[in-house]
Amino acid sequence: MSDEIPVRPEDFEEVGLDPDALFDATMGRRDFLLNTAKLTAAAAAAGPFFLAAEQAQAARAASTGGDPIATTVINAATQNFKGTNLTRISEAGLQALEPKNFSGPLWKQMVGGNVSVVEAPFPQIFTKSVTEHIAKSGTLDVIDASPAWIPDFADRGVIMPVDDLVAKYKIGATFNDLHPLYRALAKYKGKTWGFFADGDVWNLYYRKDIFGNPKLQKAYKAKFKRPLRVPRTWDEFNETAAFITDQMAPKVYGAGEGRALGNPGNQFYFFQTFRAFGGHLYDPATMKALVNNPIGIKAMNSIMGELKASEPGINKLDFVSSWVLWLQGKTAMIYAWPPTGRISENYAQRDKAFAFLPKSKVVGKVGYALMPNRNGEHAGSFVQTVSADSKNAEAAFLYNAWITSPSVSLQVVMLPYTLRDPYRISHYKSAKYRSLWPGAKNYLISLAQAANYAVIDPIMTGSADYANAMDRGMTGIYAGKDVKSGLDGIAKEWDAITKRLGQDRIRASYAEFLKLPGATSKNTIAALGKAVKIT
Amino acid sequence: MAAHADTYGRRRLRAASSLLDAHIRWVLVAPAVLLILFMTIYPLGYSMWVNFVNYDFAIPGHRWVALDNFKTVWDDPIARHALWVTLGLSAAAVAVELVLGFLLALAMLRAFVGRRMLMVLFVVPLFVSPVIVGTFFSLILTRPFGPTNYLLGKVLGHTVNIDFTNDHPWYYVSIVLADAWQWTPFMFVILLAGLASISDQLYEAAEIDGASPRQSFFFVTLPLLTPIVLLAVAFRLVDSLKFFDVIYVLTRGGPGTSTYTLSYYLYEQGFQLFHLGMGTAGSWMFMVVISVIAFWLVRRLLKPVDAVSA
Amino acid sequence: MTTDALRLRRGRARGASRVVRGRRVRPGTIARFLFIALFTLFVLAPFYWVAVTSIKPSDDLLASPPIWFPKHPTAIHYATSLNHMRGWLGLKNSVIIASFVTILSVLIGSAAAYSMARFRTGGKHLAFWVLSQRFLPPIAVVIPVFLMFRTLSLVDSRLGLILLYTVFALPFTIWMMYAYFRQMPPDLEEAALVDGCSRWQALWKVAWPLAAPGIVSAGAFAFIFSWTEFLFALVLTSTKAVTLPVIVAGTAVEFQGNLYGEASALTMVSLVPAVLLGILVQRHIVRGLTLGAVQG
Repeated sequence: MSDEIPVRPEDFEEVGLDPDALFDATMGRRDFLLNTAKLTAAAAAAGPFFLAAEQAQAARAASTGGDPIATTVINAATQNFKGTNLTRISEAGLQALEPKNFSGPLWKQMVGGNVSVVEAPFPQIFTKSVTEHIAKSGTLDVIDASPAWIPDFADRGVIMPVDDLVAKYKIGATFNDLHPLYRALAKYKGKTWGFFADGDVWNLYYRKDIFGNPKLQKAYKAKFKRPLRVPRTWDEFNETAAFITDQMAPKVYGAGEGRALGNPGNQFYFFQTFRAFGGHLYDPATMKALVNNPIGIKAMNSIMGELKASEPGINKLDFVSSWVLWLQGKTAMIYAWPPTGRISENYAQRDKAFAFLPKSKVVGKVGYALMPNRNGEHAGSFVQTVSADSKNAEAAFLYNAWITSPSVSLQVVMLPYTLRDPYRISHYKSAKYRSLWPGAKNYLISLAQAANYAVIDPIMTGSADYANAMDRGMTGIYAGKDVKSGLDGIAKEWDAITKRLGQDRIRASYAEFLKLPGATSKNTIAALGKAVKIT
Repeated sequence: MAAHADTYGRRRLRAASSLLDAHIRWVLVAPAVLLILFMTIYPLGYSMWVNFVNYDFAIPGHRWVALDNFKTVWDDPIARHALWVTLGLSAAAVAVELVLGFLLALAMLRAFVGRRMLMVLFVVPLFVSPVIVGTFFSLILTRPFGPTNYLLGKVLGHTVNIDFTNDHPWYYVSIVLADAWQWTPFMFVILLAGLASISDQLYEAAEIDGASPRQSFFFVTLPLLTPIVLLAVAFRLVDSLKFFDVIYVLTRGGPGTSTYTLSYYLYEQGFQLFHLGMGTAGSWMFMVVISVIAFWLVRRLLKPVDAVSA
Repeated sequence: MTTDALRLRRGRARGASRVVRGRRVRPGTIARFLFIALFTLFVLAPFYWVAVTSIKPSDDLLASPPIWFPKHPTAIHYATSLNHMRGWLGLKNSVIIASFVTILSVLIGSAAAYSMARFRTGGKHLAFWVLSQRFLPPIAVVIPVFLMFRTLSLVDSRLGLILLYTVFALPFTIWMMYAYFRQMPPDLEEAALVDGCSRWQALWKVAWPLAAPGIVSAGAFAFIFSWTEFLFALVLTSTKAVTLPVIVAGTAVEFQGNLYGEASALTMVSLVPAVLLGILVQRHIVRGLTLGAVQG
């Protein structure tokens, strides 16, 4: 299979350039520089729907009659809020391309107002939103909030509930076809705080060609007395990863998770493995942190074992850099967010906005499977919320309702260049999505299945503080600190946080959290018997 | 009629301008004084209040907590750790810069072709933003994309795999290295000026008296250089205690909290965790520490002024 | 300090062997030049690496062994960082803020310096107070300033940063101008006064033009200070007034993928005024950095 990205002539005609002349191999270096710059400038000037014209068209159609919810909100916005400018805070980098290149320009075309985007790395969205709230600046209108932050945001008045507005515009039906895991995530203390927008379940992506290699299979069977297969437990994962690294390093490493501080955070790894092993975060009676108990140590040791089988230097890489290694074919197994599937198929790299991601060398070689121990983390994800200090609250609400409406959201999760992932039943079943690449159907089915077994991020008061302490503490353990003392340090910090915030408050908050599906490995959607079966 | 009004106007103008003249000394300093007052007194006054109340995002209200904020910072092991890290890094950085700067000043003392140009080049790092310096070294040192490990491997003959921002003690080395890259020229320039200002006659007199080159170094050069060295070291010390930019870009205080300096710790308390009461209390304590050194330094700087105004 | 005096140095300070006529090369010389060469390399290396990184295509960025000069240099990182990562915004804000701070701090500073130099206004105490602002650690001030700006609606505003930076630049400008005015003989101003000028006119028409070189140096320092300041900008700006150092730190640290190419491109852009100004004032640098304590 050729490694070349198929570059379509229409891509260039759209911007008035002659592709053959541009990539003439005999061109001098100076001219090449000049033409690259020209192309980039032209792409920027050509406007935001470069390579997403189809999605924009479909979204426009949905908003002008195709989808009742989308149509209702766009009409309301055009009538009452024409020309209103909105400011939205979004995760920096690829995530922010969605409002910058798609929903923002489309909103401007239909409703007339600008959507300006403030970018921040994942944990900084929390801190920036709080800073703006303390500063009473009123700068932000839309906040892409992780469900884990909603208790703090709601209690401290950073965001506003939207039940009244949902009732006013009669768009309650928009919640109907969310996957059951996601239905509860925008709710808190009986109120709705926004619209769920991103199904961030982790899945296991593996190299079919490596696992199907006969020589490797033979060697593996000889060593472990079982066939080389997608690992079913974390122990098997570590053994398999170590085996692949032994055999194939430095060309290929068994595993490769990015672990840079705050990008977006190591706590997800721990929460996943810890709960897969049956761990509970707190003792409900004393509210003492239990992350350093034997289960915690086992989980952390498992993570450290995986680190040994990964490319050296991976500690400092954020998750997009680890994707780069994956795309270059250097990693055999990766567990990460859904875009992994899309970018592996070169679906995204045609767009100039993705100029900093290399082309995929693993097109057609990627398989999808449930996480070892079956419980993958539903890590991060976003709920579209409205800032309580916003001066354009209702317009912001309509914008949020619009981009999460069934048809428009389908277009959003199909964009080639951003990181929003399917979260509605209609997404999983979409014929259009399934046609995007040969394995897309299996991909969507695997995402729905992952959501059935997923465990969710702790959603409670102070979650950002706890996550931060865990993230930092883990980087210390990666750097060589002993696992037990590292976890003890984290537990101590957690206890200090609990004490400062008030034990009773945290106890109540934790109890609320445990009621949500996916809070532990025992009450996942599948365990509750509500698994969604997609075929 | 018009002429009369005209002279009246001109007389008023002259009166006003002579009023201005009489008080010109005060008028001239007023803007500076007022601006500095406004931007320091008001915030410091407000923060005095914040020191003693609860000011925290997660906990509503501003109830009086007396010395609790100070106590929390004082008891926080991370704050202690940050203090040691700050002192250690400052001492190490200043020491390295002093030695390197001195050697360089000695080497550059005699003129040679191209010296002027090199002087200009050497001074450039001083004008680069510390954030940029951090970025420089982050790019050079990061594994696996930076060239440092590769070059070290070539020089030493075996593969080198140091993680400069994650391995102990290399993260300290990286920070000191970045700081030295930027501030050695500071020491260099000052020491060069100092060395060059030592009169030749002193050396000649020493030579006549039979002193060897080594002896004239110890008995002529060093003593005359000492006040300048002290000044330079004090300057650098006070400045380096504020280590923030390089830490932010290079290590983010990590791994864990190993490279937390006082500034970074206070930044995290105030603007990441939103414990503004704690952050303010910590900042006051930090300011007191710096003030002690700064006080000495400012008095020393003003001595020439005293001599003139005497 | 003239070059003649420097040329008189005979390396005695370092225990070198005697100078003899003829071409014998002293061992000290080799060591000396080796050291200088190494240091020069040390200074130049980061500039080179960042310059090269800013024009490498993305695949080359992640190559191991490292690529020393790309076969297909590209300008895409400059375009991306400036157009898609608020590079232009940061650049614009930095230019505006630094320019205003320079003008303000030079005007206010030289006025105050003149008064202190010619009339001993405020005596020791004023001098002490102004000078001690230089040593105020920014972190000690940033939380209270943040809260104050919040009350005055100055958070995330260029005006707020301009005011704050001016206050921190004033010790530099005042001290540099003070030293300059003190060494300027008052004769010409006296003559102007005798001719009928007011003191005000003496300042504007006589003293200021004469002090032009000092003003330029002081202005350059003020500009560089505002151009490179980070902590205040990080805390006090977010969407409207964000400055270039904050954007650079963002691309170096925060974005997914640690956008090395874009970080390098923005770094190169930030370096331009800093390096140019640095070359301009390098002669006065000693005086500036030590607030006049050491004559360079």
